[in-house]
Amino acid sequence: MAMRQTPLTCSGHTRPVVDLAFSGITPYGYFLISACKDGKPMLRQGDTGDWIGTFLGHKGAVWGATLNKEATKAATAAADFTAKVWDAVTGDELLSLAHKHIVKSVNFTQDSGYLLTGGQDKILRIYDLCKPDADPQEISGHTSAIKKALWCNEDKQILSAADDKTVRLWDRASMEVVKTLQFDTSVSSMEYIPDGEILIITYGKTVAFYNALGLDLIKTVDAPAPINSASLHPDKDFFVAGGDDFKLYKYDYNTKEELESYKGHFGPVHCVRFSPDGELYASGSEDGTLRLWQTAVGKTYGLWKCVLPEELVSENSDTLYGSTPEIKA
Amino acid sequence: MWKSLRAQAMKPVCVLRMPRGPDGSSRGFDPTSERYLALCPTTISSSDSAVDSATFVEEQKARTVLRERYIRSLLAMVKKDVHFTMYERVKVNAVFGASDIDILNFQVSDLQTPLGVQKEALIRCPDIISYSFSIDAGLKD
Repeated sequence: MAMRQTPLTCSGHTRPVVDLAFSGITPYGYFLISACKDGKPMLRQGDTGDWIGTFLGHKGAVWGATLNKEATKAATAAADFTAKVWDAVTGDELLSLAHKHIVKSVNFTQDSGYLLTGGQDKILRIYDLCKPDADPQEISGHTSAIKKALWCNEDKQILSAADDKTVRLWDRASMEVVKTLQFDTSVSSMEYIPDGEILIITYGKTVAFYNALGLDLIKTVDAPAPINSASLHPDKDFFVAGGDDFKLYKYDYNTKEELESYKGHFGPVHCVRFSPDGELYASGSEDGTLRLWQTAVGKTYGLWKCVLPEELVSENSDTLYGSTPEIKA
Repeated sequence: MWKSLRAQAMKPVCVLRMPRGPDGSSRGFDPTSERYLALCPTTISSSDSAVDSATFVEEQKARTVLRERYIRSLLAMVKKDVHFTMYERVKVNAVFGASDIDILNFQVSDLQTPLGVQKEALIRCPDIISYSFSIDAGLKD
């Protein structure tokens, strides 16, 4: 019997959540970091949303946050003109990397040896985390603020999206641009899937899929409302998108058919990401919350429990409860 | 319209509980969690005993001295006024009572906070950046 999705709301932030990222799967499960305009990024257990800790130190809104694969290190980009690297187990600040303007994006290489940053000063920077006092390598070219910068192609190349309406692919060794994609409107988000080298770019109401190696277009899908972020399921059968109409949309990647849509957030959705095992996706919103949504609604996973009809009348039923109906304005 | 009516009629998925939020009193990163204990030993690990045994013995002696000195410093702090510098620009004074065996929590009395004096409190050691007290100060009963 089809069931109604019960999103799990993670509270704690006091301002809009603007970015989120999952770690890889570790022996202790997987983890989620959220960037918030309140300046206090938080680490949570990925499958339950349980708060683990808050990284304290930034003096301004945090615009970008990421975890390394093992969830042992975190990096954040903030309006206080710094990018910080943190120990994600103790919560201690390890490095503070000064920039000349607001930093928007941070990304680790696979071995966590280098950090890529990008922001309002239009320059991509590569920091060697073993030599934090050394000057970073700098790559110029963008003519407007950089929104997102990611390593790709086994860290041999870099993808960057900026307010100059371009997405550029750079070669790390030569520091030269390899290819540029020009758009008519600002790109709102970018996600890179290493397995399969797929790049997901959102702009206007469009979710576009590219081959990350040559930046060749694979397909585009149009949504009913302006989209701020999209994420492709690890098995590449679904993708989810969220944007200005406060809703989350789930599409079939192959047929482009809209499968489900969910109301729940009380403000525009700024970021959405699938978990590394694909069992859930997390969304961050202007309303200051993160919500976790099931990919397969009704499945027992994390805090969600599949309850069979006979279990509902058993003595243990008082530990289980359905969601209270959402108040829809 | 049909889609939303159908959705309302469907049973919602049950949840065991809501995700836990921040506890409001600390920055988290529980040092007693499995992950923390496995990845962050709370002591500086000593050299492998297979290394040159003379160096090893000397290192152990130094560790013993330092450990004893620290434990005696805790004893010297009992019933004295201690000044704690903590994260988030928190600076508080309190009368030290005792530490737990793992030096994870300090039991204090008369904790002076901006909200008033807390008669009895536990201060989590990972939240402390530094603390200081005067050895010659009088005891606070």
